[in-house]
Amino acid sequence: MTTTNRKLILLCVLFVALVAGFGLDNPRFLTLNMARTVLQFSTLLALVSLGQALVVLSGGAGIDLSVGGAVSLSAVATMLAVQSGAPTFLIPAMAAASGLLLGLFNGLIVVRYRILPLIGTLGGYFIYAGAAMALTNGSSITGAPSWLTPLGRGAYAGIPLHFLCLVLPVFAITAAMLTFTSWGRWIYALGFNERSARLVGIPVDRVRLFIYTGSGGLAGLAALVSIAWFGSARPNIGVNLELESLAAALLGGVAISGGVGGVLGVLLAVVMIVTLQTGLQFINTPTIYQVGIVGLLLILSLLLDLLPRHWRAR
Amino acid sequence: MASPAYFAAGNFAAVARNSVELLLIGLGITLLLAMGGIDVTVGVVLGLAAIGVGNLLLIGANPWLAAAAGPVIGLVLGLLTGAVVVFGRIPAIVATIGLLGVYRTAIFVVLGGSWLSGLPPTLGAVFGARLFDAVPVSLIVIAAAYATAFLALRRTPFGLHLLAIGDNEERARLAGVPVRRVRLAGYAISGALCGVAAIFYVTTYRNVEMTVGSTLALDAIAAVVLGGTSIVGGRASLLGTALGVLLIRILQNGFTIVGMPSLWQPVVTGALLLGSLLLERGFAERFGVLQKSSP
Repeated sequence: MTTTNRKLILLCVLFVALVAGFGLDNPRFLTLNMARTVLQFSTLLALVSLGQALVVLSGGAGIDLSVGGAVSLSAVATMLAVQSGAPTFLIPAMAAASGLLLGLFNGLIVVRYRILPLIGTLGGYFIYAGAAMALTNGSSITGAPSWLTPLGRGAYAGIPLHFLCLVLPVFAITAAMLTFTSWGRWIYALGFNERSARLVGIPVDRVRLFIYTGSGGLAGLAALVSIAWFGSARPNIGVNLELESLAAALLGGVAISGGVGGVLGVLLAVVMIVTLQTGLQFINTPTIYQVGIVGLLLILSLLLDLLPRHWRAR
Repeated sequence: MASPAYFAAGNFAAVARNSVELLLIGLGITLLLAMGGIDVTVGVVLGLAAIGVGNLLLIGANPWLAAAAGPVIGLVLGLLTGAVVVFGRIPAIVATIGLLGVYRTAIFVVLGGSWLSGLPPTLGAVFGARLFDAVPVSLIVIAAAYATAFLALRRTPFGLHLLAIGDNEERARLAGVPVRRVRLAGYAISGALCGVAAIFYVTTYRNVEMTVGSTLALDAIAAVVLGGTSIVGGRASLLGTALGVLLIRILQNGFTIVGMPSLWQPVVTGALLLGSLLLERGFAERFGVLQKSSP
């Protein structure tokens, strides 16, 4: 059994245990309403984690620490544009475009200028998150049109619209791309062995630039959902997303060294993490505990990789 | 100059005062980057150590004991971070991002959601004092720390091993360098330096708030990179770090004087970090300087 499959099974067990645990504590946790709440809160993390997973998957010490800042700044930039007179029907396009631009910037830093992803995107994180706070003085920018609200708060058959119309298609398309297209296979090849990938003629730099840009684009979509949901751009909407998305990607079975993993596990991991957070909130735990618990999960998921190696050594 | 106030001696005093913690933390980050590591928890480690020192002062413990608690707490947390990175075989950035979350929760738990304030000025008599009424104790401690690190990097096996690991970990291992022990020691030293910085933090501010040290890690990494220490390891510049710290604090001080809101500070520091790396890369490409490129 591969490590990825083992992690997926563990994830399912963890998920069932969590739901059962919170359910035993308070049966009101086991309602459809709660399931809808979990999905409602999953969308932002799911979109961002998909980008994070692709970046990590493509190897080269790939990591995108700027995702949270990119979500905040995309949302803020979009609503600032609206405030200064841009037509509201452009909101979806502007949010996606600002995300893509920020991602492209990361990609150029990493690919064109060969700066370590962790340092390049760390700098990006502080620039994006800082600019989002500084441009707004920390307060939300209101003024989202009412026709956008259904995307943020509506539901069809009990499933939040943004989860149905954005998360599921985007994950399905990415899964199909990873499995059936050459670009998808190239991403695995990059992560598995970049040198060989280069030698067989895969356009390594172009693929990686595409991935960082795409990760930014997904952050832009997350920004759009947040605008539709809250009716405003919150400059702190992306806080802690770098930690949570890394945890989701690695728990979901993506190998930190790249080249191994898939997106189904990531989606599962996102739902698991959000269930945990929702449950903690449900039993009135201070929100700051979520950061610590997700941090622990991230480390534990990586320590898990040690076990098989350790057993083999004996 | 936008403002004559900039030249007032008081401003230089403020810059020097604000640089103390960052100089110590930056020294630790220099060692970590030089061996190919990184630690984004340094700010919250300072916070946790400061809480330890502050609580001991509050219950009226011997001030020397309270001060000693700072480096001890820092050392223990550094060892924990190092153990997770080294024995868990987890990339340092991922491990320390996870631990950052854990330590932040720990700060909330030990502070109980409020500030630690009204700390007695007990430590000021020693750590806020000036030797011969001229040389601040903080400067002596910082100079001693930098001198020790300088000698260690150039004259001791530990220092050479540390640089060798940063240059090429696999080759260092094959050459017989005790890689794991040296890396663990690197994280422990960095943690202890955060703890020493915590003593001066408590001496000066006499309170610890929930968000303590939230931008210290960025400031420290930016200062070290500005100073010329390689982010892929193998090269350390202690003088560069000290100058990088002063440059960042002078810039922040200057921006405050011209009236730029402090919210812009992380943007400026982040841009400085990326800008210096881009410049370095540009020069390397332009003049064909041979450099170890990022993996």
